Amino acid sequence: MRLLYWLSILTIAASAFAGELQSKEFKPFADGVRKYVELQKYLEGSVSAQKSTNASEQIADRQQQLTGLLANARRGAHQGEIFTDEVAEQFHKIIRKAFKEPGGRAIRKTIEERDPVKHIVLKVNEVYPDNQPRTTMSPTLLNRLPVLPQELAYRIIGRALVLQDTKTNLIVDFIPNAIP
Amino acid sequence: MQIPRRHFISYMALAAMRLPLYGQEPILPPKPASVRFAVIGDMGTGELPQYEIAEKMNTSREAFHFDFVITVGDNIYGGQTPDDYRKKFELPYKGLLDAGVPFYGSLGNHDSPTERFYKPFNMNGQQYYTYKKGNVQFFVLDSNYMKPEQLSWLGKELHNSAADWKICYFHHPLYSSGSFHGASTELRLSLEPLFVKYGVQVVFAGHEHLYERTKPQNGITYFTEGAAGELRKGDLKKTDVTAAGYDQDRSFMLIEILGDELIFQTISRTGKTVDSGAIERSAKISRAVIPLRFPTTVGRCEQPALV
Repeated sequence: MRLLYWLSILTIAASAFAGELQSKEFKPFADGVRKYVELQKYLEGSVSAQKSTNASEQIADRQQQLTGLLANARRGAHQGEIFTDEVAEQFHKIIRKAFKEPGGRAIRKTIEERDPVKHIVLKVNEVYPDNQPRTTMSPTLLNRLPVLPQELAYRIIGRALVLQDTKTNLIVDFIPNAIP
Repeated sequence: MQIPRRHFISYMALAAMRLPLYGQEPILPPKPASVRFAVIGDMGTGELPQYEIAEKMNTSREAFHFDFVITVGDNIYGGQTPDDYRKKFELPYKGLLDAGVPFYGSLGNHDSPTERFYKPFNMNGQQYYTYKKGNVQFFVLDSNYMKPEQLSWLGKELHNSAADWKICYFHHPLYSSGSFHGASTELRLSLEPLFVKYGVQVVFAGHEHLYERTKPQNGITYFTEGAAGELRKGDLKKTDVTAAGYDQDRSFMLIEILGDELIFQTISRTGKTVDSGAIERSAKISRAVIPLRFPTTVGRCEQPALV
């Protein structure tokens, strides 16, 4: 009984430590994400609020305005700004591990989109084209990668893991060759 | 699947009662107080077949007065300009929209997430949401992005639901005999345990450009209706899970739910009934799907090609 007690204490301590380690390693990523969301919210203040509307023009106009403001405010943003080398390495580890596990084949099947997608050269601060299909994001990966606020989403395009703005479709950052 | 003898007899009686209705279009007899709706998916092409299916829905509604339409995604293909919304949604479904028939959308892989702000899709800015109609509760999911938060939400909503019928719909099929995309097995691992645990009876999806109904899987019947605009002719390679299917033309579905019974009918662009039957809601008995079979030609109603 006593042994079980100490084992459970050790397990809790170990998992708390692992959590701390993980959060420490992802801190630069969390900071980058937070800053981006703050900027997005600030700029949203200068466009009309997005409400449900019958006018599809209004949806398109708002998206375009916000895209322009964000792209302008982030002029000069480059790949690796949020996914820094250290952060990218952590993402690589998580993704590689998930693909090596028994569910790896299912993950690959999910992310391989068979609908024809035009070859897209990924560039930070550019919009993922509306007329291209979205690849399905693997639920397993979503369960393992750091949780994002609703303003941002992960997306896999080719072999890259992309951080995408959900309101504008802007490519915020990406890790090339993230998918093994 | 073995149907208990007493059920078999009552189903045969039910089928016999409905027999005279066949040959007309549609076959579903509208009943007072029932929940009636249509199902479409992968429709937003803006091309002629989409308009033809929409017209067939209009004419079907004269006989079977469905109250709303659910969409299983790919509502607007290839662009999100105001012109796209007009050509691919507002014009084809003008008759239904003018008649005040609401649509309840879900997002496919060709849809922009901003479609959730388009009022006629009734998503209220949500990527996933739930609503009730009579004794039926619908759970609409975004299968493009099944994040843990969405799964927790679904589990909570299903748990809290006291509805007799729990129906889920989203874009990617958990079971499919379509050879182009096939089943979304990873999604199935995430979703199916929740469906089984909380008694979801029926699931609608699209993505594969064909129609398919599965044999009940863990008590759940899965429909794929991804051919209300697009079509991938000959894509259905029947498997052990296939109960019925159709991949020779575009199609849409009509559903009626009253009490413990859900009746479905799938209609092609030419007005042919390609599948039909009833699903019984029961917590204890495996849900039985009873295909209502009819002679090869009764008026305009022919035996489905792949059934």
